[in-house]
Amino acid sequence: MTGARQVSCDLAVIGAGMAGMAAALFAAERGLSCIQIGNSGGLLFASGLLDLLGVHPVAEGRLWQSPYEGLAALVRDQPDHPLARVDAASIRNAFETFVAALGNAGLAYAPLTDWNRKVLTSIGTVKTTFGVPRSMVAGSYALEARPPCLLVDFRGLREFSAAQIAATLGDRWPGLRHQQVAFPGYEAVPELYAAHLARALESGETRGRTIALVKPLLGDARVVGFPAVLGLARAGAVHAAFEAAFRIPVFEIPTMPTSVPGLRLQGALEAAVSARGVHRRQQARVRALSFEADGGTATLELDAIPGGERVLARAVVLATGRFSGRGLTADRGRVRESILGLPVAQPNSREAWHQRDFLDPGGHAINRAGLSVDAAWRPLGVDGKPVWPGLYAVGSILAHQDWMRAKCGSGLSIATAWAAVDQVTRQLRGNGAG
Amino acid sequence: MSPGLFQTALYASLALCGLGLIWRASAWFRVRIGTDARAVTWSGRMAAVFRGTTWVLFSRRLFAVLGALFLDVLLLRRLYTNEKLRWFAHLLIVVGFTLLLLVHALAPIVSAKLFQGYQPTLDPYLFLRDLFGVMVLAGAALLLLGRRPARRELAQTRGRRNTVFMALLAFVLVSGFLLEASKIASPRAFYRMTDQFMGTTDPQTLAPLRALWASEFGVAFADMKQPIDPSLVEQGRKLNSESCAACHAKPASAFVSYQLARMVASVTSLLDEGHADVWLLYLHVFACFLGLASLPFTGLFHVVAAPLSLLINAATQDRALPAQRFSTAGRAARRALALDACVRCGICDLRCSVAPLARYLGNAGLLPSHKLLAIGALAGGRLLRAGHEGEALRAADGAFLCTDCGRCTSRCPVGIDLADLWEAGRSDLAAAGLPTPAQWVQARPALEWGEFLQAHPGLHTLRDTDASRAPLSADRSTFSRCVQCQTCTNVCPVVAHSIDAEHGIDLTPQKVMNLLRLGLRDLTLGSRMVWDCASCYQCQESCPEGIRVADIMCELRGLAVRRLGSVRDWKEPS
Repeated sequence: MTGARQVSCDLAVIGAGMAGMAAALFAAERGLSCIQIGNSGGLLFASGLLDLLGVHPVAEGRLWQSPYEGLAALVRDQPDHPLARVDAASIRNAFETFVAALGNAGLAYAPLTDWNRKVLTSIGTVKTTFGVPRSMVAGSYALEARPPCLLVDFRGLREFSAAQIAATLGDRWPGLRHQQVAFPGYEAVPELYAAHLARALESGETRGRTIALVKPLLGDARVVGFPAVLGLARAGAVHAAFEAAFRIPVFEIPTMPTSVPGLRLQGALEAAVSARGVHRRQQARVRALSFEADGGTATLELDAIPGGERVLARAVVLATGRFSGRGLTADRGRVRESILGLPVAQPNSREAWHQRDFLDPGGHAINRAGLSVDAAWRPLGVDGKPVWPGLYAVGSILAHQDWMRAKCGSGLSIATAWAAVDQVTRQLRGNGAG
Repeated sequence: MSPGLFQTALYASLALCGLGLIWRASAWFRVRIGTDARAVTWSGRMAAVFRGTTWVLFSRRLFAVLGALFLDVLLLRRLYTNEKLRWFAHLLIVVGFTLLLLVHALAPIVSAKLFQGYQPTLDPYLFLRDLFGVMVLAGAALLLLGRRPARRELAQTRGRRNTVFMALLAFVLVSGFLLEASKIASPRAFYRMTDQFMGTTDPQTLAPLRALWASEFGVAFADMKQPIDPSLVEQGRKLNSESCAACHAKPASAFVSYQLARMVASVTSLLDEGHADVWLLYLHVFACFLGLASLPFTGLFHVVAAPLSLLINAATQDRALPAQRFSTAGRAARRALALDACVRCGICDLRCSVAPLARYLGNAGLLPSHKLLAIGALAGGRLLRAGHEGEALRAADGAFLCTDCGRCTSRCPVGIDLADLWEAGRSDLAAAGLPTPAQWVQARPALEWGEFLQAHPGLHTLRDTDASRAPLSADRSTFSRCVQCQTCTNVCPVVAHSIDAEHGIDLTPQKVMNLLRLGLRDLTLGSRMVWDCASCYQCQESCPEGIRVADIMCELRGLAVRRLGSVRDWKEPS
């Protein structure tokens, strides 16, 4: 076996979740040559809804109609929160660019406004979010106006129950009805999987039979809701076909992860970055990362192909996520950063990780652990200075944020990726490169 | 040697060779490989061969075939692209052997007519004969060396016929060298010549010549006084140029035989008394005749079959020209020819995609060269005889685990369409009631296999459960991160198409992973999910935890064949 294959690039993005994808996408749009390392499977846990900022302060559980007003409050209250360190104009640009790229890749979103939207979940609760796929937006309007509405589910699809949603919301939404039908072609199958139904609905025949099954049930409904199974790669066309056949708005309700909207998002992001020339190493992991002193290049040793592969990069974006993305690992005592062992901002002892009450409204200190960065998004070493001039960190691995409770996961990823890529571009141009 | 005996032996060998060739060639019209070939009569094949040949002769394809004759047959292009060393070795043998045949063996009708003043004892013929002989021997040695990697890595087939041929070839060459050496060193031969051509036996007259031939021509006179007087040698030189030089050059240019002669010098008188030159001549000549007579039955037969295979290849496969569609009859003849064209070089085995699986399962029956032999044995009825059941099952596993990647076909130096042969072989195996692994494994439900394994812990060997042969499924960390999120199931097209409750899959991928997590691997081995897996890798590509789901499925199939294979009742699973 010969030595490792070697490739060079401007930027290596480690991680293929929301933040890694956003970083690779923005970098490629700015003309940087980019290699992205990591499995994009984490995106399957996404709902397709893009949060910006829903809740602040977390302890009060205060919901914001306008995420930008919420951000202004965040800047005042928590200046070290990563989202508070990105200006509103950049956040707008980042979201517009991100959503436009998804639209080009076949996953259309409703136009972005200055306002959050409310979306129905699969258990009948209401979620506040920012970016909503076009296939779900009619549900947002329906939730406000509450017209006569039919919810449909499929027998055997255990993760979605129209009856449960109707039972939860029925007293506040008198015109809400529900119906269960057998999915055409899968009548004999006891357990259905959403992705299979989504793929099946891309065939005109199955779609026609489904439409024929549901149409007689519509009655007085002025809007109809389905579990999010209306197509996968061609979801836009499938959704349009249902609306054309029913002549009323059709909306999807996101199902439990891992869900079809997650698959769509994964597919669209993969397509978007690939179309922009990003080289992806989906099955690879970074075995070792080292730097030349004073700028120069970073060397990443990958493990995917026999003999390994070596990536030489002038800048590196760390978008490895927290625990589920394996960017951070925890043992009984400490939380560590997985690749370089960077200092992690964290509670002093394990006793301080969690509050006494599991459901404490303020959340737990461990959920704000992560990397501290300088003004240019470069993680800090033990000496409080950037570890390496070309190493950046974005997304949920950043410290001082609790994205789950603040409902700001996508916003955190997209906004910090945008801001960090901005810095990467300056760094590389400053070094006299394109 | 009396001319009568020589001629009788020659004609007898020629006749045997001719009859043998007819018999071997007739197999191409008799042997049936593939169920589609069963309906084809020998006359049908004859007609197909005739039609094909006529078509080639009168179409543009003739040029392709002539090109192949030059490049593939004479210059061994396909071997060159595979292995340069073996190509060089083979070329040494072909060139050396052909030139020996023409210049030396057929000297009276070739060399004597072409070259004026040809004498086998003059240069350059003295030198060339040894050179050609050395080329052949060196080539043969290199070929044997070249086969070693295949032998070492994979239990490679040994062709008994090749061994016979190689042994005969070596015998002919070594006896030739010894014969020449014995003649160089022989005083008896010296005196016979002086008697015949100088008409004298007078020791005084011959003394100078003896001195010269002893010192410079390698004759080992037992009674020669040492040191030899240089002035006597000079006198001998004059005599030599008058009487001998027209027919005899210094034998030193026969660099092998001359050295051999010097080595045997001390025993020359013994050899002379024993008439070594005579019996060595008999041995040499009769070994040649034996080689000729046995040509159709040794590995040498490939000089007939392999070029035919290459030419048929050129006639049918070149994409630059319109190819003639191969009729079933034509294919039937070609498959039978393939059995003879194979030279057991092992290049296919070394390039085989499933060679790692062959090592893993400990079943060489997966390897192309073994499959070819098994197909021959099946066609000859030997594989299905009582007592060969194990062999037949291993052959069936081998045949059905092939992935049809086509590497063997693209690499075969003699241009055998192995892909077609495998397909035909599988149809024969299936017709003989030998099931595919997927069939015999799925003949029982997964649960039954699991219980069976549990009930018969003594039946399997250590090899069956050796963790190093199933590294993924034996290692807890492979799936310890599985959170049962169902992504693998969600993206699995096999589950998606499993819409029939009765024949659908029994376990989803994530349930297979869960059984592995629980240490219940045996329950997965016979499951439909494992065996119906399409290896599309969607699960592995999508798994949020980076679990190698598809690789594990593949490993489980291999493990199932090995583990369940040791306990199956091959006739009828009860």
